[in-house]
Amino acid sequence: MATETDHSPGEAVAARIERRWATLSIVIVGVLVGMAAFIGIHQATMPQGRVEIADPKTLHLSGEFTESNLGSEMAADGSVTVRAIGQQYSFTPQCIVVPADTPINLRATSADVVHGFLIEGTNINTMLVPGYITDLPVRFKAPGDHVMPCQEFCGIGHQGMWGKVKVVDKTAFRDMAAAKRRLTCVD
Amino acid sequence: MSDHPLFSTRNPWFGISVGITAGVAVLSAVVGLIWLPLLQPHLQLTGVWDAICSAAGVPRAAVQETAVKPDFKTSNVVMTSEMLTKADQVSIGRGATLAQRCAICHGPQGVSDAHSPNLAGQFAAVTYKELNDFKTGARVSVVMSPFAAAMSDQDMKDVAAYYAYLPRVPSNNLDTGRPAPAVVVTGAPMRNIPPCGSCHGDIDNKAGSPWLGGQSVVYIKAQLEAFASGARRNDISQQMRNIARQMTAEEIDQVAHYYEAQP
Repeated sequence: MATETDHSPGEAVAARIERRWATLSIVIVGVLVGMAAFIGIHQATMPQGRVEIADPKTLHLSGEFTESNLGSEMAADGSVTVRAIGQQYSFTPQCIVVPADTPINLRATSADVVHGFLIEGTNINTMLVPGYITDLPVRFKAPGDHVMPCQEFCGIGHQGMWGKVKVVDKTAFRDMAAAKRRLTCVD
Repeated sequence: MSDHPLFSTRNPWFGISVGITAGVAVLSAVVGLIWLPLLQPHLQLTGVWDAICSAAGVPRAAVQETAVKPDFKTSNVVMTSEMLTKADQVSIGRGATLAQRCAICHGPQGVSDAHSPNLAGQFAAVTYKELNDFKTGARVSVVMSPFAAAMSDQDMKDVAAYYAYLPRVPSNNLDTGRPAPAVVVTGAPMRNIPPCGSCHGDIDNKAGSPWLGGQSVVYIKAQLEAFASGARRNDISQQMRNIARQMTAEEIDQVAHYYEAQP
């Protein structure tokens, strides 16, 4: 542009610096977007893919969170769905049994207030919010026992709210699933 | 400085910075709303629009699959913490008349030594829920089931309101000096036993959990054992079975004696 030639050298330097700072800020935005995508894909954070709702007052009357439908279910393709609820002051089922090295869908919700859902020794750590269904795709590497404390203060009996997760061998789980449609390890 | 206006398409700085910002926004939206959701097969998305709605958090009712139906009756009472907390005088009066038929076991003042529950001062939601469960068969008792079968919903509410209105009367075994067992005070956290009082009214009340003070030791033990064995299953979503199952026989005995001695 014709007018540019009339400017002092100081203005050219200012423009160059301006351009570099602009480039740097765009790169920072790009890195942040990329980081969010990366940790999402690699499940360092587990943003939920969809929002599903369920009435906390009537969970026991109908739908997938009725007492007899809770526990682990094995689908025809070998994947497993676990359904559980949190309530003041226990998880039902109190002991969740899952196979190792298998894609698992954890579905849970709360029947009253906000509860925490944390499985020790894994990166599973989320909240059970009344009215909403928590849905997590997870995979346990090896057989073993984990404790599952409620990690969100849910009332005066909160510290007594603990569940258990028992990860068993794949074939052992398959045998159990053949005998029963919904599995738990409550004794 | 140039004389061009700042916000103008002829200002290259303006054009380029707005362009890049919009580009980053569009790219992030495509990545976040379309590409990443579609990478997750377990979401079972039906298309691009479904992916966008899902990622944007449009709520939807859970997909109804065929749930396994229970092979026993479960309680169908919808409990809320406000339910039956505001009784009117008419309801209490009706309840008093209806409660005459209850007196032979539960006492004319809602208190008796017959090892049946003392109902005087019991939370109305509790009496209503148990009557309802006896009526539907979620809870079974040879004595109570026939009584409840003939009651209407209003009858049950009235009787519950009447008993809630009566003052609590301590049992003959009142002993407030009796030390509280550990399981009552602190529960047993690693066994999923919270302190009894966090639901049963001494500290806080969870809707549907009865006041236990002054109840007969025989009754409390029998109910805890029935919950533990699964003989009684009208606690919604196993809320009491989860606790009773973890209690030792000794703990059950301790809490039963402790609560009988409480006002």
